[in-house]
Amino acid sequence: MSTQTALNTFVKDTGGWAASQLEACTRCGMCSEACHFYQATGVPEYAPVWKIELLRRAYEQRFTISGKVKLALNIDKQISDQDLLDWSNYIYQACTVCNKCSMVCPMGIDLGTLIHDVRTGLAEAGVVPADLKAAVDLQLREGSPLGVTDEVFNDRLEWVTDDWEVDIPLDKEGADTLVVFSSIEIMKFPQNLAAIAEILNAAGENWTLSSKAREVVNFGFYEGSPERTVLFLRRVLDNAAEMGVKRIVVTECGHAYEALRWTAYNITDVPKDLEITHITHLLGEYVSSGRIKLAEGSLNNGTITFHDACKIQRRGGHIQEPRQVLKLLAPDSFKEMTPNKEQAICCGGGGGVIAIKDADPTRYAAFELKIEQLEKVGAETVVMACSNCRLQFTDCVQHFDLDVKVAGLSQLVADALIE
Amino acid sequence: MSEETIYQRLQKQGVSRRDFLKLCGTLVGAMGLAVPPLEGSNLPGHLGKIEDKTILKVARALESKARIPVIWLEFQDCAGCSEALTRSQSPTLIDLVLNTISVEYHETLTAAAGFQTEANKESVMQNYHGQYVLVVEGSIPTAADGVYCTIGGRTALDLLKEAAEGAAAIISTGNCATFGGLPKANPNPTGAKGTWEIITDKPVVNIPGCPAIPEVFTGTLAYFVIFGALPELDDLNRPITFYGKTIHDRCLRRPFYEAGKFALSFDDEGAKEGWCLYKLGCKGPTTYNACASLKWDAGLSFPVQSGHPCLGCSEPNFWDGGGFYQGQSAPLNRPGLTAAGAAVGGGLVVGAAMAAGNRAQKKRAASGLEEEKNQE
Amino acid sequence: MNWNAFLEFTRGPLFNIALLIFVGGMTYRLVRVILLGWKRDHVPTMGSKLGGVIKSFIKGTLIWPFIPWVKRTFSKNPVIYLAGGLFHLGLLAVILLGAPHMLVWKSLLGFGWWTLPLPIVDWLAAGAIAAMIALLINRLVNPVLKLISGPAEYLNWTLVFLPMVTGYMMTHHLFFRYEVLFSLHMLCVDVLLIWIPMSRISHFIFYFFSRTIHGADFGKRAVSP
Repeated sequence: MSTQTALNTFVKDTGGWAASQLEACTRCGMCSEACHFYQATGVPEYAPVWKIELLRRAYEQRFTISGKVKLALNIDKQISDQDLLDWSNYIYQACTVCNKCSMVCPMGIDLGTLIHDVRTGLAEAGVVPADLKAAVDLQLREGSPLGVTDEVFNDRLEWVTDDWEVDIPLDKEGADTLVVFSSIEIMKFPQNLAAIAEILNAAGENWTLSSKAREVVNFGFYEGSPERTVLFLRRVLDNAAEMGVKRIVVTECGHAYEALRWTAYNITDVPKDLEITHITHLLGEYVSSGRIKLAEGSLNNGTITFHDACKIQRRGGHIQEPRQVLKLLAPDSFKEMTPNKEQAICCGGGGGVIAIKDADPTRYAAFELKIEQLEKVGAETVVMACSNCRLQFTDCVQHFDLDVKVAGLSQLVADALIE
Repeated sequence: MSEETIYQRLQKQGVSRRDFLKLCGTLVGAMGLAVPPLEGSNLPGHLGKIEDKTILKVARALESKARIPVIWLEFQDCAGCSEALTRSQSPTLIDLVLNTISVEYHETLTAAAGFQTEANKESVMQNYHGQYVLVVEGSIPTAADGVYCTIGGRTALDLLKEAAEGAAAIISTGNCATFGGLPKANPNPTGAKGTWEIITDKPVVNIPGCPAIPEVFTGTLAYFVIFGALPELDDLNRPITFYGKTIHDRCLRRPFYEAGKFALSFDDEGAKEGWCLYKLGCKGPTTYNACASLKWDAGLSFPVQSGHPCLGCSEPNFWDGGGFYQGQSAPLNRPGLTAAGAAVGGGLVVGAAMAAGNRAQKKRAASGLEEEKNQE
Repeated sequence: MNWNAFLEFTRGPLFNIALLIFVGGMTYRLVRVILLGWKRDHVPTMGSKLGGVIKSFIKGTLIWPFIPWVKRTFSKNPVIYLAGGLFHLGLLAVILLGAPHMLVWKSLLGFGWWTLPLPIVDWLAAGAIAAMIALLINRLVNPVLKLISGPAEYLNWTLVFLPMVTGYMMTHHLFFRYEVLFSLHMLCVDVLLIWIPMSRISHFIFYFFSRTIHGADFGKRAVSP
């Protein structure tokens, strides 16, 4: 571990974009009002403004006169080894980078991305929770943090194809759409593979999976390491280029969409004519254009609500599409939670948190906010378009012994397909 | 000059006892003293038995004192304060007060001139040493040994010090004599000063104004004549009775200030409606004087009432107060374009230098990280 | 103590210097940040960046501060929303729409504008002062604020509070003569002007950076900022 490495990373990565926002902070503390981890635990160190404190220190102490003066007067402290350890806890275990804080900040500071910058520094310094590190290493070695090797992939595909009797093209030449699944779906919610395959087939898409680009999850992105983020991105992008597809569809994964659609262009080469989209968007398109036929009102029994995934709705913009689908399938029983859409509360499991055992208590505490929401709206079923959220919900439903069904959006659509 | 008392003189002029007591009551009012109500009598004060102690005090004083000699010195002045006094519209009051004093030396008003009048002044100062009142009008130049104002070959500075030495009381009338007035305005080439900046071993009463309100001057003078002492003064040595409140706090247009109704030019609707003149530069809020209550020309009007913003003429340095039509709240100094440009330029240069240094740090940090990676 | 002379000093040469330091200092802060380097954003947009920016400014400046529940977040600490909004509203009303301050701007800029009646400005000033006190208490009591606040934050509060309170006292003739209060007010204002470029009070300028970045980012993703 090298504190100097972290400091150098902070210094190197702070340009006008970060600096102007760090200067804008008025220490009002409103961001903590939006942070579900702070709200659930009351730990002041979980306040988003404190999470980026290391970045602020590096910036002020190296780039500003007042920072240097404060350091000289002993009003401010330098970043110490212990600080890195402490912050590793706050940043990886008590933050899902849901970015609700930036919506509440009166100055509009993009705390989510700044927190990601702190992750980068910690990652470069090697101060990352062991579980997360292990997952990254696994993805490096075997191509997936959940161990979806070539073999495992093919096995699962075969099983799904057989059991669900669905056609799933693999490495199809001449396909214009490359669909990349997350290992969470492959390992934990394999029904998603079948569901999405059914939908795409019904819509008549010229699509395929790829054995080389079989993992859309990006643990390098969770970690914050630029190299490993790019490495994992390139596995998908290079293969897409090889196959000559026009479009990549990210399935029900949140951070992967953030990494591919909203970050990749700035950290690696992405061809201008390559479209990157999310399955949620396609669902909305298919439904509104009538390209697939669904059994209207088929979910009109029992209150059903939608959980907005931070990276797909708030950060991805696909807010209307799930509602288009659900208004069709559950016109009377669909009820919105409060808050919702871009203001929604994070499930508490994203950002790599669910992969870290030590973070379990905090994760469960954060989920209590969701339980409150579910109870208030009287939901019998809660739907989402992100499989990490789905993993968190499933785990927590069991942990808290809740009486609510957890469903994936694609799953519901596939179930409602009529020929 | 005779030794007859003021009362005796008034009697000679045909003023009855009744009228005399009435005048004493008026004097009490003129001095701004309180007149407590009469007890147990339904009759107006001047018809019933006079119980009031203040009026009686005044009466006793006038009955027992002879007229007090006054030496009135004018230096760098326009004689406006004297002119205002003589053009006062209330003859009874002014006359009365002038009947209680004997003006022995006055450059503008005395018929005599030249060495004779100077000799008269000398003899008054000698014969009534320690008893005469010295009134000063106009500022005193101190630059170049005071050569900018000389009378009979002697500098104003010299003349003032000489006259002040034997004075029982010194009253400065008008902004020039009190605070330096117009001659003191930037760049003050004559080194003009107010009386009290030069005479520091005796109390000097300041009656500022441009000109001073005549009734304020006479009220103060009457106080000294009757009680032999100076009235209560503020920290600028102005009688609190007359200078205790600002124009703003007694202004008849104050409700319009509160309501946000301002005249924006001298002939707009607001001006015609008599709205507040604050936005036209009225210095009322910072000006202490009796204009808004006592007014001018025996209560006829005062500048604001007649439609012109207060100039602040009873305050020190009002000529350099930012301009008569600049807002009262505006700063007195502000950076000119060159200075501001220099400040911006300075900020640009230092900011750019700092940014350059910071970018160099970023490069060093990046190469430091590169090295680390290569070593691994 | 010659308060008249002190008043002339604080309204005169000291104000001059303070304003120069303010202008030079703010220029320095801006240039230092702007010249730190900016990267181009190569991510293709889904919505409109400009639309996002406009929305962000309108919501951030006009709506959110005054209608806190529109934010629909965990308003378990309404104090900051309400007191913060009231403080800024009062501050801006007083220094932009109060007649005495408008005349200061007029002397600096060469033109003036319409102002609010005094009682309205007065109530807003009182509201702002009350809000500031609430905010101080909150900063002393709230665990997050206690963690992130240092001497600079308390100094910021004090140097902003003093001009407000001396100004209010001036208008109401409280305790001291007008020229005493006026000169104290000017002294506090001068000190504040000098302090602003050295502190986070300069956020009023950087606000435009962060709000634009925020609006563009959300607009790009077709999400309401």
